[in-house]
Amino acid sequence: MNNTPLLKINNLTVTYPLNSEGSDVLKALDNISLKVNSGQIIGIVGESGAGKSTIGKAILGLLDPPAKLVSGEIRFLGNSLVGLSEAQFESLRGNQIGYIYQNPMTALNPVLTIGEQVIEAIEANTDMRGKNAQEYAIQLLERADVSFAEDRLQKYPHQLSGGLCQRIVFAIAIAAKPKLIIADEPTTALDVTVQQSVLQTLIKLSQQEQIAIILITHDIGVIAETCDYVYVLRYGKHVEQDATNKVLQRPTQDYTRSLMASVPLIEKRLHRFALNEEDNLEDTSTGLHYLQEKQTTQDSTNEPLLEVRNLSKIFITPSSLLKAKQSFTAVKGVNFTVQRGETVGIVGESGSGKSTIGRMILGLEDITEGSVIYRGKDLKLITDSTERRAHCLSMQCIFQDPYSSLNPRMSAGENITYGLKIHNLIDNNKAESLAQDLMSLVGLKREDADKLPHAFSGGERQRIGIARSLAYRPDFIFCDEPTSALDVSVQANLLNLLKDLQEQFSLTLLFVSHDLAVIRQMCDRVIVMKDGEALENDSNDNIFEQPKHAYTRSLLDAMPKFQGLAQY
Amino acid sequence: MIDYNKKLATLKLQTKSIFSGHPIAIAGLIGFVIFVLIALLAPWIAPQNPYDLMVLDIMDGLLPPLSKLGNGTTSWLGTDAVGRDILSAVMYGLRLSLFVAFVATTVGFLIGVFLGLLAAVKGGWVESVIMRAVDLKVSFPGILLALMMLAIFGTGVDKIIYALIIGVWASKARLTRSSALSEMQKEYIDAARISAIPNWRIMLKFLLPNSIAPVLVMVPMSLSGCIGAEATLSFLGVGVPITEPSLGLLIANGNDYLLSGKWWISLFPGVVLVSLVLCINVVADRIREHNNPFLKSMNMQ
Repeated sequence: MNNTPLLKINNLTVTYPLNSEGSDVLKALDNISLKVNSGQIIGIVGESGAGKSTIGKAILGLLDPPAKLVSGEIRFLGNSLVGLSEAQFESLRGNQIGYIYQNPMTALNPVLTIGEQVIEAIEANTDMRGKNAQEYAIQLLERADVSFAEDRLQKYPHQLSGGLCQRIVFAIAIAAKPKLIIADEPTTALDVTVQQSVLQTLIKLSQQEQIAIILITHDIGVIAETCDYVYVLRYGKHVEQDATNKVLQRPTQDYTRSLMASVPLIEKRLHRFALNEEDNLEDTSTGLHYLQEKQTTQDSTNEPLLEVRNLSKIFITPSSLLKAKQSFTAVKGVNFTVQRGETVGIVGESGSGKSTIGRMILGLEDITEGSVIYRGKDLKLITDSTERRAHCLSMQCIFQDPYSSLNPRMSAGENITYGLKIHNLIDNNKAESLAQDLMSLVGLKREDADKLPHAFSGGERQRIGIARSLAYRPDFIFCDEPTSALDVSVQANLLNLLKDLQEQFSLTLLFVSHDLAVIRQMCDRVIVMKDGEALENDSNDNIFEQPKHAYTRSLLDAMPKFQGLAQY
Repeated sequence: MIDYNKKLATLKLQTKSIFSGHPIAIAGLIGFVIFVLIALLAPWIAPQNPYDLMVLDIMDGLLPPLSKLGNGTTSWLGTDAVGRDILSAVMYGLRLSLFVAFVATTVGFLIGVFLGLLAAVKGGWVESVIMRAVDLKVSFPGILLALMMLAIFGTGVDKIIYALIIGVWASKARLTRSSALSEMQKEYIDAARISAIPNWRIMLKFLLPNSIAPVLVMVPMSLSGCIGAEATLSFLGVGVPITEPSLGLLIANGNDYLLSGKWWISLFPGVVLVSLVLCINVVADRIREHNNPFLKSMNMQ
C-alpha cells in the first residue's frame, strides 16, 4: 500500500447563510478533516444536524445552493476536487466515486426494469454494449448477492423488496469499478432482519473489489458491525476519531460517552439510561397535584386493566369496475392482557400489524372480530355517553411522528388543553396554567406554552405530545413507536421521561416498536408479532434470553451487536 | 386572547416576502388597488351619474373623446348613443363588475370549502354525493352552464351572481377535499379523535386552518375568472340589465358602432377590463409561485 490516502479532506468548512445578506451563517461543517485508504470502511456517525451527509455531498460537488464550500481541500487520488467544473464532476460521479442513497425505492426509477437501469449504468461508464453488457449486469447482481439475477433483470423496482432494491443499487454503484463508495444511511429504511445481510454484502464488496466505503449513519450498531475506523461529529464539528473498538468502548469525549450510553442495549435491562441530566428545578407541584388527584379514586382490583380477546382485523378494498374485492388480514386472532402499572411491548417488522392492534384498542379502527375489554367493560357495549367519553379519554396515545402529531395552527399549550376545554373538564382560566405545569412536568419551559409547534425540535414536540396525553389523566397510554423518528440521545431522554412518569402516576403502557433494544429497556412483558399473528408472549427476560420461537431468535440474531461502554 | 397586532405584523411580513423583488407583481397589486378605489369612490368622483336618465341628453350622443357637452363640461372619453359619458359609465361599470365578481367568488369559496371539508370528514355517501356533483359541474363548460341558468331564470344582477357561484364552488370543493384528506392522515387528527372531539370542531379548528392555504391561492384566479365570465355573459346580453351597464355590456353597446368609426364606446371599457384582469392575474401568479416550493427552486437556478 502506498502512503497517499485514496481520499483526504483537510479543514473543510461548509456554510449556509441564515439571512439574505449572508452576514450570519450556519457552519454545517466546521474545519473537518478525514482520510480514507483504499479498501477501508470508515464510518461517520452523528445525530441529525451533525453534517454527516454534507460531507458526502461536498465530496461529489452536490452541495445544494445556498450551501457554500468556504475553505478546505478535498483530494482524491492526489487531485483536488474543490472547484471542479460540473463536467469534471460528472466524469467522477458513478465512475470513480459511487453514491448509495438512504431509500432504495426512490433511488431506482420506477418505470424502468432493473435490467434497463443496470445496463444503463454499465453503458454510461464502460465500453460494454449489448450482449456483453447484459452478461456483465448479471455478474454485477450476483456479486451484490442478488439471487435469480437473470430473472430479476426483467422486474420493476416495486416488484422487489427493499433489501433487494438496495442490493441492486449496490450493483449499479460498482458497475464502473469505483474506488470509493459513499453510502448515506444505506440500511436505515430497511427492516432489521434485512439490514444485517445487506451490510454483509457491503463489507464483502469492499473486500473483494478493494473499494473504500464511507458509511454515513446515525446507528452505532451499524458502525460497530462494519467499520474499521470511525469519526464522530456533532453540529458540524469534529468530536472524536479512532479505531471503531476504541471509540465505542473507551470514548475519550463526554459527547461520545453520552451518545454511547444512549444506545439501548439488548443484553441487559437497565433501570434508566445513564445520561448527564440536569435536574428539573421548576415548580411542578400544581401539575402534579392535578394529575395525582385521580389516583386516589382508582380501585385496586386484581383484574387486568386491558384484555384483548381473539382480536382480528381484515381490511377490505371494495370491488370496483376493474378490480375484484380484495381483503387483507392485518391482525389474526390476537389475545393478551395488560395488568395495571405494567408495560407491555409489541415488537415486529413493518406490516406485522402491531400498530393496528393499538388503533383498534383506541377505537381509531373498527374491530373486525374479537373484543377489547378495558377496565372490565367492552367499549362497544357502553351506551351511556358520559361513561363512554370517560372511558375513551382515559386511554391516550403517544404518536410516532412528532412532526404531524400536533396541530400546527395551535400553540403548544392550546394543543395540550384544547380537548379538556371542549369537554368542560377544566375552567378556561385554569387551562393556561395547567398547560404550563404540564410543559414543565415533561421537561419543557413554562413560557414556551405560547409558541407554535414549529418552534420546537422533534424531541420537544414529542414531549408536548406526552403532556397532551397526560392532561386527560389517563390510566392507559398506547405508545406507537414514540421514539423511532428521534435521534438516539433524544430517544434515551424521552424513554427516561416515560419511565419516570409511569412510576409517578402508575401508568399502564402498551409500547409498540420495531426496535428490539428499546423494547428490552422499556417493557415488562413482550409480544412478538409477525404477519398479524402473535408468535410469542412472555416476560422480557425470557424473550431475550431464552426465545422459544424461531422467528424471535432470528430477530435477535439480526440485531447489530453493540456491547456498550466498557465500564458496564 | 388573539393578538391582532401580531397577526397584522405577520401579514405585513408575508406580503413583503411575496412581493419584494417582483416589480411586475407590485405593479399589478398597485393597479388592482387603484381599480378598487375607483370602483368604491365612483359616485363621488365620476363626472356624471350614468344611471340617472335625467342628466343624460340625447343631443350629446356619440361625441368623440374630449368633446364639450351641452352642459359645458368636457367628456374626456366621449359619449355613447344616448349621451352617456363613457368615463362615468366605465367607473360605474367597473363598480358593478367588481361587486358581482367579489360576491360570487366569496360565496362560491365559502360553499366550496365547506362542502370539501364535509366530504373529507364524513366520507361515505355524503362524500359521494358532493363529489359527483362536483364532477357533474366540471364536465360542463362553465359559460354554457351559466347561459342555461340565465336563460331559465332570467337576467339581473342577483341571477348572474348565482350563475357565477355555481361556476366557482366546484373546483374549491375538490381542492379542499384533497387537501383535507391528506391532513386527515396526520396523527394530530387521530389525537383529536381519541380525545372525543366532535367532528364539526375537528373540521373548523383542525382541518380548516391546515388545509385552506392551497385553496386561498386559487381565490385571485377565481376573481379574475368571474370578472371575465360576467363580462362575457353581459356582452351576450344575458347578464346585467341594460340600465346598469357593467364593463361587458358597455363593450357590447359600442360593438354596433365599431365599424362606423365610433371606436371609443367599446375601446375604453375593453382596455379597463383587460388591465383589471391582467393586474389580478399577475398578482395571482406571484402568490401561486410563492406558495409552490418547486417553482421557487426553479427560479433560483
